[in-house]
Amino acid sequence: MTGLHDVSHRHEVGAATIAKHPVPKGQPILELRGLQKKYGAVEALKPANITFLSGEIHAIVGENGAGKSTLIKLLTGVIRRTSGEVFWCGDAVQLATPNEAISRGINAVHQEVVLCRHLSVAANMFLGDEMNKNGLMRKRAMTDAAQAVLNDLGFNLPAAALLSDLTIGQQQLVATARAAMRGTQFLIFDEPTAYLTRQESAQLFRLIRRLQGEGVTIVYISHRMEEVFELADRVSVLRDGTHVGTRNIGETNDAELISMMINRTIEQIYHKETLPIGATIVETRGLSGPGFENVSLSVRAGEIVGLYGLIGAGRSEFALGLYGRQPVSSGEIFWQGNKVQIRNERVAMDLGIALAPESRRDQGLCLNLPIGMNINLPVFDRLSNGLTINRRREIDNADRQISDLKIKTPTRRVLASAMSGGNQQKIVIGKWLSHGAKLFIFDEPTVGVDVGTKAEIYRLFARLLEQGAGIILISSYLPEVYELSDRLHVFRQGKLVASHTYRSASHEEVLTQAIGV
Amino acid sequence: MSVETTTEAAPVPKKGMNILFGLTLLGLLLFLWLLLGVSTTSFWTSNNISNLLRQGAMTAILAVGQTFVIITAGIDLSVGAVVGFSSVTVAWLLQHGVPLWPAMGITLLVGVLIGAFHAFGIVRMGLPAFIITLATLTSLRGIGLLVTNGSTISISDESFTNFSRADFLGIPSLFWMVIVVAIPAYIFLHLSRWGRYLFAVGSNSEAARLSGVNVNRTIYLAYILSSTCAAFVGLLLASRIGIGNATQAEGWELQAIASSVIGGTSLFGAVGSVHGPLLGAFILATINNGANLLNVNAFVQRIITGVLIIVIVYFDQLRRRGSR
Repeated sequence: MTGLHDVSHRHEVGAATIAKHPVPKGQPILELRGLQKKYGAVEALKPANITFLSGEIHAIVGENGAGKSTLIKLLTGVIRRTSGEVFWCGDAVQLATPNEAISRGINAVHQEVVLCRHLSVAANMFLGDEMNKNGLMRKRAMTDAAQAVLNDLGFNLPAAALLSDLTIGQQQLVATARAAMRGTQFLIFDEPTAYLTRQESAQLFRLIRRLQGEGVTIVYISHRMEEVFELADRVSVLRDGTHVGTRNIGETNDAELISMMINRTIEQIYHKETLPIGATIVETRGLSGPGFENVSLSVRAGEIVGLYGLIGAGRSEFALGLYGRQPVSSGEIFWQGNKVQIRNERVAMDLGIALAPESRRDQGLCLNLPIGMNINLPVFDRLSNGLTINRRREIDNADRQISDLKIKTPTRRVLASAMSGGNQQKIVIGKWLSHGAKLFIFDEPTVGVDVGTKAEIYRLFARLLEQGAGIILISSYLPEVYELSDRLHVFRQGKLVASHTYRSASHEEVLTQAIGV
Repeated sequence: MSVETTTEAAPVPKKGMNILFGLTLLGLLLFLWLLLGVSTTSFWTSNNISNLLRQGAMTAILAVGQTFVIITAGIDLSVGAVVGFSSVTVAWLLQHGVPLWPAMGITLLVGVLIGAFHAFGIVRMGLPAFIITLATLTSLRGIGLLVTNGSTISISDESFTNFSRADFLGIPSLFWMVIVVAIPAYIFLHLSRWGRYLFAVGSNSEAARLSGVNVNRTIYLAYILSSTCAAFVGLLLASRIGIGNATQAEGWELQAIASSVIGGTSLFGAVGSVHGPLLGAFILATINNGANLLNVNAFVQRIITGVLIIVIVYFDQLRRRGSR
């Protein structure tokens, strides 16, 4: 543990105290030679040789299950390698425990924020390394120091606020600031922008570049190609646990990386078919509720209606209102031409509305229950004969969705928590396919989902549309809503501020409307 | 499917893991019986076995009800108090000339209302289950003591008191009551959709709600079943001791929770079964019974019970981790 002296020294100079390390820029700082990880007979990471150069931003891309998280866990000492060697600044190291990794200056910022929500921002930043005087915590001094660091980094965040009062994006920035403060030399970002708004992403990118300027080596893991091209110096591709190759960013392109990742070219990720538009399924008139105001829109059979906006702009809130999860304060809903009151989720379901919610973990899945039970949850009443569930139908329905959606699992009895993000999303979607819904609401369906699964999800959209359903697609990822939506509505601060037909506005226009500059 | 729910986070759960665990518990129970049969002369006497089955029966029924609540990630601390209160209720009703069957019916109904009140506190008032059931624990004891003026009400109806001493096919009637409760409980938890809903609410109530599960109704169901099981045990206890007394069944809630946990129920919710708590209850009863036969000091018995709970649940945790 660092002593008081160390900490007080650090806060005076804020984030600029990243220790000077002995490896000159551009020389190898971390070398993996034949690094391998086996779980029983399963090779999660096949012997990999990757060299990270001091001061570079090194992106790692690959589909879910390609071995990215195994690699991070090996580098941060969370798991032990099966074989191979790791050289840190030229010396062979074990990296056997998280403490060893941290003491050498290797830190990670995870996709899911792993901080204490009930403590203040400052307390989180100093967690495990508190400033003490005579055995008592120096709370004021820590708050001031944390604030100095945040200001220095250009984050407009109050150090005294509770972490739970911040958005997930802001929490992510706090996690990054925490790592930056701790003399990190090697910082791993695991899909950091998955939950960030555009502004927050921009702040994060500035921070990453700044850290790079101070000599920190950055490993950046992402599904988003444009981020990789914006940030990285070099990029390594993993596929099925194999390190396929490393490229200088200037010498590669989207298409090459994608084909390396999936070993097949995707002509069109955004699979869009033009289908005849049918009758109106649902229409809202002046719908208002918590977080959204006066929203009027309609969805017709065979079309995708995209809702774009920053996180907190009211899109998800509108969806929850339409689904009966949140009370609607005023306005009307018409379902196939008839005025309806959707008082609760059950009413929505019975009408034929399906919701794949924003957060798989918090809203979508019962993680410690089997896949089959998750899939069948909305339809148990229909799988039952009076008192008891028809076991055969239960099994058949689960197995059918698993094979239809190509959920990668040996059996329906595997727990949902054991699945990767893409497969979890498929489970969330699979819940609703046997329900026979007419209107599907997909809220951020591709967050944390790899390219291959994304394409599968988009093809599924087309299938649903062919069957005469309508889709509301909520996404913070502009290319996705832009390319897929027949009609695109832009939300800002709870209001629907603009509407476009397919490709009738430019990216810049849509973005400007969403940000409101 | 719910049969597999006690296997945690195993990439590929072994088939019938739960059944295996059930067998392990059954093995432990049989081992204890064998051990006591060898080390004491009085264990395998029909008198002692009947006594053991009677002792275990009431905890077993409480544990089954408790398990429903724990699966929803809740807890019901009131069950011991409900047992005592129900013994007072039925005794008071009989004393005031209410015929036997209506008196028992009303007592069970009181159990239903207590459970509904718990769920009301949790769902409508937003109180933690721990708090609302702790509050009724102390209040029900108080009401019972008020009604009885701190003493007991004796029950003169002999057909009622004879029941607990009766045998059917050589097996104590109290043990038959376990079967009467366990079979519908098994059908409810493992074969019906409502059982699935309990697991879903315990795992992630928001996901369950968005999947159309009526979460509030499920919580009502769990707490009503628990309190009704407790009221039923109150009837059995009143029949066994022939009195209504509000201070009876002190600490039985902890016995019930311990039985449930020994039986593989997870206090974090979404993991549990009906057969597990039953075995857990009879393991606890056997330990107490055996300790009596071996003349172990009653105070030491309590210590042994505590240590065994830790050991059994620890091994269960190890087994779960191992299967990961």
